[in-house]
Amino acid sequence: MAQAAPVIQPDLELSYEMPEQATLLSDAWRRIRRNRLALVGGVIIAILFITALISIVWTPYPVWLQAVGPTYQPPSAGHPLGLDQAGRDILSRIMGGALITIEVGVGSAIIVSLIGIPLGLLAGFYRGSVDTAISFFINIWYGIPDLLVALILVFVLSDALHLIPRGVFVIIVAFSLTRWMDVARLVRGQSLALREREFVEAARMSGARDFSLLLRHIFPNALGPIIVQATFAIPAAVLFEAFLSFLGLGLPSPTPSWGAMAADGYHGMDFAPHIVLAPTIALSLTLMAFNWVGDGLRDAFDPRMRR
Amino acid sequence: MPGGTLNAVDGISFDVDRGEIVGIVGESGSGKTMTALSLLRLIPEPGKITSGKILYGEQDVVQMSDEEIREFRGNEVAMIFQDPMTSLNPVLRVGFQVEEAMAAHNRFTRQQARDRVIPMLQRVRIPAAKDRVRDYPHQFSGGMRQRAMIAMGVSNEPSLLIADEPTTALDVTVQASIIELLRDISRELRAAVILITHNMALVASLCNRVIVMYAGRIVEEGPTRAIFKNPQHPYTWSLLRSMPRVDETTRERLISIKGLPPDLGKMPPGCKFHPRCKFRVDRCLTEEPPLAEVDPGQDARCWVLMKNVQNPEAIAQK
Repeated sequence: MAQAAPVIQPDLELSYEMPEQATLLSDAWRRIRRNRLALVGGVIIAILFITALISIVWTPYPVWLQAVGPTYQPPSAGHPLGLDQAGRDILSRIMGGALITIEVGVGSAIIVSLIGIPLGLLAGFYRGSVDTAISFFINIWYGIPDLLVALILVFVLSDALHLIPRGVFVIIVAFSLTRWMDVARLVRGQSLALREREFVEAARMSGARDFSLLLRHIFPNALGPIIVQATFAIPAAVLFEAFLSFLGLGLPSPTPSWGAMAADGYHGMDFAPHIVLAPTIALSLTLMAFNWVGDGLRDAFDPRMRR
Repeated sequence: MPGGTLNAVDGISFDVDRGEIVGIVGESGSGKTMTALSLLRLIPEPGKITSGKILYGEQDVVQMSDEEIREFRGNEVAMIFQDPMTSLNPVLRVGFQVEEAMAAHNRFTRQQARDRVIPMLQRVRIPAAKDRVRDYPHQFSGGMRQRAMIAMGVSNEPSLLIADEPTTALDVTVQASIIELLRDISRELRAAVILITHNMALVASLCNRVIVMYAGRIVEEGPTRAIFKNPQHPYTWSLLRSMPRVDETTRERLISIKGLPPDLGKMPPGCKFHPRCKFRVDRCLTEEPPLAEVDPGQDARCWVLMKNVQNPEAIAQK
C-alpha cells in the first residue's frame, strides 16, 4: 500500500529586511514617491521654484521694459513666448510672475496656518466655552463673502489709508483673513480627537502641562493633515491673486502678475492669443501641480494607506 | 433619558503604606479604574468627586490647586496603563518621551533628565538601551513598550505606583517579566503599588493585601493569604471559584457567577450583590451591610457573616 503523501511539506527560509527608521515624514515620502501624478506635480513645482529664483537675478529682459520689439509679436527665436501689447518680453514676465506666485502662495499658506493652528488647537483641546467662542467666530467668518472682504481690505488698507502699499503683502493679508477657517476647523477636529487618545491621557497623568500636551502630543500628531491643508491653501491663494489682478484690483501695473498679464492680453485675444495663453497655461500648470501634490500628500498621510 | 447623579464609586476607604502592594480586584465596571483615576483627580468628564478626601501624607489631593495637582501627578504618583500600544505617543522617540516625563517636574533639570534617560531604560531592562532611545514606539515590542511606560512612570521616583491592568494586553511570558520588574522596582524605590486587575493569579503572586470591589463598593478587604485561603464574602468566594487553579487536584467545575453586575442607574436596594447571591437572607434585600471586621485584619460587607462579628450592633450603628 502506498504511503499517504503529505498534504503540505514546507521547506523554507525566510528573511526580513529591517526597515530604516521610519518616521511619519519618511514614511510619507516613501509613499508619495510611488504616486506618479504627485511626482509630476512635484517636478512642476520644482521648476516653478527654480524659475522664480533665477528671475531674482536674471531675466532675458527686464520685466517692465517696454518696446523691446514690435507689440503683439508672436513667439519667435529671440522671444520664445512673444511680446505683449506694450512690447514687453513675455518669457521674462512669466519668470517674474513665478516669483510673485510663490510669494503669494507660500506666504498665504504660512499665515493661514499661523492663524488657524493655534485657534484650532485651543478650541479642540479646551472645548467648552473656548471652543464655543472660536467655533462661533469660524462660522460667522464662513458666512461673510470672502472676495468682498478681500476687496474692501485692499481698498481700505492700501488705497484709502495707505497702510500697506498695493502689493503682494496686502493680498496675503486679505487672503489669510478670509480663509484661515479651513485650517482652524481641521485642526480643531484633530485636536478634539487626539485629546482623547491614551498617550495624551498618559502624559497628563505624568503631570505634563497643557502647553506641552498641545505642543508635544497633539500638534505633532495632527501635522499630516495640517501639511495637506496648507498645501491646498497655496493654489487657492495663487488663484485668488490672479483673479484680483485680472480684475485690476491686485498688483499694480508693471508687476508681472500672471493674472494681470492675462487681463492685458485679453483685448487682443483674437489676433495675439499667445499673450493670454502664456500666463494662463503657467497658472493652470501651477494650480494642477499643487493640487496633485496635495492629493498625494493626503494619501501619503492617510493612516489607512499605511503599508 | 432623565438626568441625575450616578454614584459610580461609593464610600471607598482604604490606606496604602510605603512598600506595600495592594491589589484591587473586581469585575469590569465595578469602579476599580475610577477609584484609581480619582486618586490623581483625573476622572473623565462629567464625573467628579462629590465628597471625601484623599490624604497623601498630610496633603489632601481633593483640595489641591491645579498647579499642585499637576506637580503631584507623575512626581508623587505614577500610573501605568493597560495598553502600552496606545499610551505612547507614536510620533515621538521613546527616549524623548521618558525625558519629557522628567522635564515636566522640577526634580531634574533638562540636562539631568536627558542624562537619566538611558539609565532609566536600562533599569527597566530594555536590552541595548543606548541604541533604543532613538527608536519610535512602533519599533518596540509590546513588552518593551510597557517597560518604557514603567520607565516613564518611575523616572521621577514616585512614592506610589498605580498599575491599571498592566499585563492584560501582553502575552503570558512577557506578563511574568513585567510583574517581576514592577515588584523589583517598587522595592528599590520603596514605593507603594496599587495593582488594578481581574487576574486573581497575579494578585496572589504579587500583592500583600487585596481589596475586592463590587458595584463601586469595597465588599471585602484583607491580607492576600487570608482572602485566598478563607474568602468571606460570597462575591469573593465566587470570584475565586470561577478561576482555574493549577495547584488544586479536585475535579470541581469552574463556576461562573450568574447574572450581571448591577446597572449604576438601577442599583438594587440593600446589599448590591443580593440579586446574584446564593446566601441572601431577608435583611439583604432592604438594608446595606456595613464593612465590618470578620476575621482579624479581614473586613467584609455581608449580613450573613455578621454572626462572626464580635459586636454586630456596635458596627451597625457606625
